[in-house]
Amino acid sequence: MKILNSNFKHILLLFSVMILAGCSEDYLDKTEEYSIDSENYFNSEEDYYNALIGVYDILQSTYVNVLLGEIASDNTLSGGESANDVIGFQQIDVMQHTPVNDNLDDIWDWNFAGIQRANYILEFQDKTDFDGKEKILAETRFLRAYFTFELLKWFGPIPLKGDERFRLGDEKTIPRASKEEVYAQIEADLTYAISNLEYTAPQVGRVTKGAAQALLGKAYLYQEKFDQAATVFTSVINDGPYQLSDFNILFEQVGENNEESVFEVQYTGEEGAGFDCLQCSEGNVAVGFQGIRNYTGPKFESGFSFNVPTAEVFNAFSENDLRRDLSILDIDAWASETGATYAEGYKHTGYFNRKYLPRQNDNVGDANLTQPNNYRAIRYADVLLMAAEALNRGNIDDARARTYLNLVRERANLDPVTESGNNLTEIIYTERRLELVGEGHRFFDLVRTGRAAQNITGFTTGKNELFPIPLEEIEFSEGNWEQNPGY
Amino acid sequence: MMRFTSFLIVLLGGVFSMCSQSFSVEGNVVDENNIPLLGVNVLVKGEARGTTTDFDGNFLIDNVSANDILQFTYVGFLTKEVQVGNQRTISVQLETDSQSLDEVIVIGYGTQQRKDITGAVSIVSENTIKELNPIKLEQALQGTAAGVNVTPSSGAPGAGININIRGIASNSVNGPLVLIDGYQGDLGTLNPNDVASISILKDAQAAIYGIAGANGVVLITTKTGKKNTSPQIQYDSYVGLQEASRMIPLLNATEYALLLNESYANNGQDIPFPDVSELGKGSDFQDEVLETAPIYNHNLTLSGGSEKVTYSIGGSHLYQEGIIGSEKSDFTRSTARFNLGIAISDQFDLSANSIYTNIDRRSINENGLGSVLFNALNIAPTFALDQEDLDGKLGNEIINPLSQIENTFNEYNLNKFNGSFSLDFKPIEALKFTSRLGYSVSNSKGKDFAPIISYGPGKVFNNDRSRVNQNRINDNSYTYDLFGTYDNTFNETHHVTATAGMTVIKNWGDGLYATGYDVPNNSWDFADISLTTGTNDGINNSAYKYDTRKLSFFGRLQYDYKGKYLVSGMLRRDASTRFSPDNRVGYFPSATAGWILSEEDFLSDSQLISFLKLRASFGILGNDETGGSQFYRSLLNGEATYVFDGALVNGKALGSLANPAAGWEEAEKTNIGVDIRLLKNKLDITADVFREDRKDLLIAGIPVSGIFGGGAPGSGAPTINAGTTRNEGLEFSVKYSDNKGDDFNYSIAYNATILNNEVTEVNGTEFLSGGQFAVGQPQPSRFQAGFPIGYFYGYKTDGVFQTPAEVAAHPSQLALGANASPGDIRYVDINNDGVINTDDRTNIGDPIPTATMGLNINLNYKNFDFTAYIYASLGNDMVRNYERNQPNVNKSAYYLERWTGPGTSNEVPRVTTGATANTAFSDFYVEDASYARIQNVQLGYSLPGTFLSKTGLDRLRIYASVNNLYTFTKYKGFDPSASTGEAIGGGIDYGFYPVPRIFLAGVNLNF
Repeated sequence: MKILNSNFKHILLLFSVMILAGCSEDYLDKTEEYSIDSENYFNSEEDYYNALIGVYDILQSTYVNVLLGEIASDNTLSGGESANDVIGFQQIDVMQHTPVNDNLDDIWDWNFAGIQRANYILEFQDKTDFDGKEKILAETRFLRAYFTFELLKWFGPIPLKGDERFRLGDEKTIPRASKEEVYAQIEADLTYAISNLEYTAPQVGRVTKGAAQALLGKAYLYQEKFDQAATVFTSVINDGPYQLSDFNILFEQVGENNEESVFEVQYTGEEGAGFDCLQCSEGNVAVGFQGIRNYTGPKFESGFSFNVPTAEVFNAFSENDLRRDLSILDIDAWASETGATYAEGYKHTGYFNRKYLPRQNDNVGDANLTQPNNYRAIRYADVLLMAAEALNRGNIDDARARTYLNLVRERANLDPVTESGNNLTEIIYTERRLELVGEGHRFFDLVRTGRAAQNITGFTTGKNELFPIPLEEIEFSEGNWEQNPGY
Repeated sequence: MMRFTSFLIVLLGGVFSMCSQSFSVEGNVVDENNIPLLGVNVLVKGEARGTTTDFDGNFLIDNVSANDILQFTYVGFLTKEVQVGNQRTISVQLETDSQSLDEVIVIGYGTQQRKDITGAVSIVSENTIKELNPIKLEQALQGTAAGVNVTPSSGAPGAGININIRGIASNSVNGPLVLIDGYQGDLGTLNPNDVASISILKDAQAAIYGIAGANGVVLITTKTGKKNTSPQIQYDSYVGLQEASRMIPLLNATEYALLLNESYANNGQDIPFPDVSELGKGSDFQDEVLETAPIYNHNLTLSGGSEKVTYSIGGSHLYQEGIIGSEKSDFTRSTARFNLGIAISDQFDLSANSIYTNIDRRSINENGLGSVLFNALNIAPTFALDQEDLDGKLGNEIINPLSQIENTFNEYNLNKFNGSFSLDFKPIEALKFTSRLGYSVSNSKGKDFAPIISYGPGKVFNNDRSRVNQNRINDNSYTYDLFGTYDNTFNETHHVTATAGMTVIKNWGDGLYATGYDVPNNSWDFADISLTTGTNDGINNSAYKYDTRKLSFFGRLQYDYKGKYLVSGMLRRDASTRFSPDNRVGYFPSATAGWILSEEDFLSDSQLISFLKLRASFGILGNDETGGSQFYRSLLNGEATYVFDGALVNGKALGSLANPAAGWEEAEKTNIGVDIRLLKNKLDITADVFREDRKDLLIAGIPVSGIFGGGAPGSGAPTINAGTTRNEGLEFSVKYSDNKGDDFNYSIAYNATILNNEVTEVNGTEFLSGGQFAVGQPQPSRFQAGFPIGYFYGYKTDGVFQTPAEVAAHPSQLALGANASPGDIRYVDINNDGVINTDDRTNIGDPIPTATMGLNINLNYKNFDFTAYIYASLGNDMVRNYERNQPNVNKSAYYLERWTGPGTSNEVPRVTTGATANTAFSDFYVEDASYARIQNVQLGYSLPGTFLSKTGLDRLRIYASVNNLYTFTKYKGFDPSASTGEAIGGGIDYGFYPVPRIFLAGVNLNF
């Protein structure tokens, strides 16, 4: 009886202990908090710096802007393995793209991710104070402007929320801003960056004052604010540390981050990557995509043969133009010279985008996705040509325009030009195409100067200036965002 | 006091019996057919002594007196008691317990007699498991339980097996809750031989499990010893050989070369094989890759019990080699187990059980682009067996499958302890408290080694730096239950069972992953991080940790009036840490009712109807499983890696987007059923109609606008309650069993499930997509309102264009990639807008079977026994996705029947290296994968008792069986039964590792 009693008491005790301790809802709140939550961050300088790296990270996924921007232009064809290989690329090549296009979707998603990550910092910009915070904010705002400008180029005006992250539901309430509002934010961000940054960054790869000035100038040029563009470009040219480098090595590994580099997206082959998350790669995915199919031979590595230059652009170079064979690889000539072998892909032209071909290196797998070639986003030659264009088209100073233009021509082994006025404009346009072929600028240059329809087969004026907003985005917004005209 | 009383009784009884005259009694026990019964327990009632019958059914028991009562008990037979009286010889005939209605069934926090069950419950017995002889326990559920669909994710040894109960309701996790002796467990690691029974709760009765019960509940009871039985040793063993059940007919080298020539010529290119005369049949890579592989299994169990203690102790060892890659895809499982029951006193019962499992597994690349079988099907037969694709003829993914196997190195090891301790306390007869702690601790380690290897230029499997990845994963859980049950009958008419209690579940664990570079000697022998020397800038390690908890209270009231009218109601309150504190708590009510008509006067005399019950249930259950551990907050676990100063730098970024409003899925289940037994219980029929509406589906990764940044590396879309699905259907099972004379008895059982599955609502997006087809094509599977979950979305075809006139008369197909020519597939202009484009895609099939059925046959003749299990699945479609769309790969033999000119074929298009629209995802690639499979055929022979008496064995049975004997199907691929189990993206075949055909010979020994 006594035993029984004590046992019974034990049970009762256990019961009540469980009720009191275990059963209280506290039990559910005691789960281990080992992770930092998004809302309790930004407590030190290091936190801001770490979040800034997160914003920079998104730059690497802009490889698709470059690749697809080039395919959209008259410089290259889609290529790949077959007619169905990356359908989104194939459709844009022939200007038959629709609002359903995974690759356009990537551009939308990834650049907005950059904006969201930048706004995450800006949302908490007042939380913790430390010396040099304005520099981190300046870099953040430059990056926000960079992604915003990309989206503006591709899709036109986008919704804006200021210094705050978008939250679930905003897609149904915040409308697309006007073009002026979007440019105003870009200009404000870059102006802030210019006044808080130096020409040399604390680490290679970080934003400089020169980068902010050049991007601001470009934004002005796109708006045809030629005076303001000329002013800011002149400042880069006169005050900045930049100069043209040796074109022979400009796109080689040794040419990375050199004196011509104004802003450069950094890549490395040190970390593996897979197809399930291309934006996660630390390498330049575009490089493997435009590599020579099943290539064996010296210097280069193989790839997927997308983005193949046309014979037309190859022939647009004069014979003695130093840049021709350094920009575009004539694979037959190369094969017979070196004994290299390769396979022909879809829409094979015989030419490859040599600037961004994969070079032999020891990048880790999947090697096609981790090529380390940095993308020269803004280089000094581009700045000189934009400055020349602003000076010429704004009727400001053709002489200076020629000077800048001739610097670029001289390096290419071409004679200086003496033209002015509209003739000079045309020469600047041509020079811009040849100097920057394969770098993703051509399509947008044609659009902003109204020359797209005459150069791009299939281009419909009044429609193809902008790409369609992804259909699912239109649907998410439930009518809040209007589709671009013609789609 | 009570103890004292019983002690006194025992003492007095002993004295009393000593005083009276005692003698020996011998006798014989037979069944209804006068066949001697072996191992019948013969007990002196009220005393802890007795004996068992031998193989001739004879027994001898000493020291009994005229007042003693002998009790004869035997599993499957009704217990019989005989007063000794003057008899010195007692012959007893036991009656079969055909009324297995008295069978006690585990229903969750309690048991119930089968006749009283008011929910839809399927039972798989120990016998069925024995007959099916499954390698993994899940296989015992296929075709044996109505409403349960079992699909292997692969035929590789040890591969996971998916179970769906009454269809797929969720877009993500659809597996049932598995409880082993009451605690949360895992079917996949159990030894089938350790299991005594499986109950499957399919309807609202599972609401006693509240938030965890929506996908159905599988209750496993492991083997225990029986009281008052002498020690019994059981040894079971089999050995066998496995082989592929099917080869896909492919082109041989000459056929391949001719086809390639034709496809090049059709595009105006030079033909690649100007001379085919020397090619012959070439290499058969498929034949080389698929091998015959051994399997063997040993099981040893010792069980028994005394008056106070029962025990069951067992061990097993299974080894299975793969039919691809032999020991490179093998599986070893060793288990050890004990189960102890101790009657501490009249009030207290203690039980403890524990299972230790050790699993070793290796695997090869399977079911994907570039997997071993995919390569075996696509590599050119003109290649020598040891030849690599050095010219890049076959694209970037296709490599020599034999070198691929050779360069595959990995291993996985799991060590797991699980079990429970349970204390029952019965203060009075009608009241019982149970306090039970179930636990599971598992540790696994994995390693894979990527050697430096080149399979030819540009191949995606090339690796120029050797690397070894290692991981350690630790998963723990406990389930603590405390509940009381009050069971009483008032006035012999009102039977009440009330149950109330609580459950606490905690799952926690962590994982650590690391990579070492530059493995010495580029060799598996040295593949360990401790030996690697290389460094790089990347982050070479990662880790995670989780902790989720649930706290639940529940109550259930069961009432019946005179055993005729049965009702029950239950309510469970759950709180789960997967949700924010504001959305954490939910209530799940359900009710069931039954009416046993055969107990009514108007049926009680029926000759035809032995038993008839109508039952119905309705209730609401929940589901909080979608894979992720927390949905309501964002962690800083996104990827933030960039390059400064030429070196990788790592920062912080947001992980998956948060949805503070996330709550659980709600399943509304309705079931109406009938149980009938006819012809003196010979015919047993159960039928159910059911419906489940699953609301507020927790859709992980539901697309949301890109403006939230979910596309960033390491981020992802949030989990949102955003959909509704409906599953409704019919289940039917019938069993007929009978004896013919003394020597022959048989049973035939058939069950069928008809299921209709539909997504009824998706919020916030028109559809979700998943799966992969070919390379770079849109995802083929969709989750969309008005369609089955995971249906295939593509073009409908209408034969092949025969003439240019037909092409001209048809809308342009240019938008699909190229203008059509004669010999190309003709697509249907679904929306009749005069052009074929992406808007013409439609529903072209779905992977969910419309009907599944099982047929089980059992025959016993004298000492022979025969069983056959047949399973059929109808209406499931499969995407043929193992054909690489590349000019130089090999093709299936059906291409011999291709279009080569008007009138030649209206099914298989022409071949060409030029651009065509034939590769777009269409019903040309979707096949009806309905099948019927002879799952298991077994013939056994038990040696007669006369023979055994000389050996000291109680039973010796030998058998031979074939698993997966034959599959009837029109599907062209390896295996119509396989699926990845994904709700969206299942049923896509990259060349599934086929389920092998296994020839077994085995032995069952008892002594």
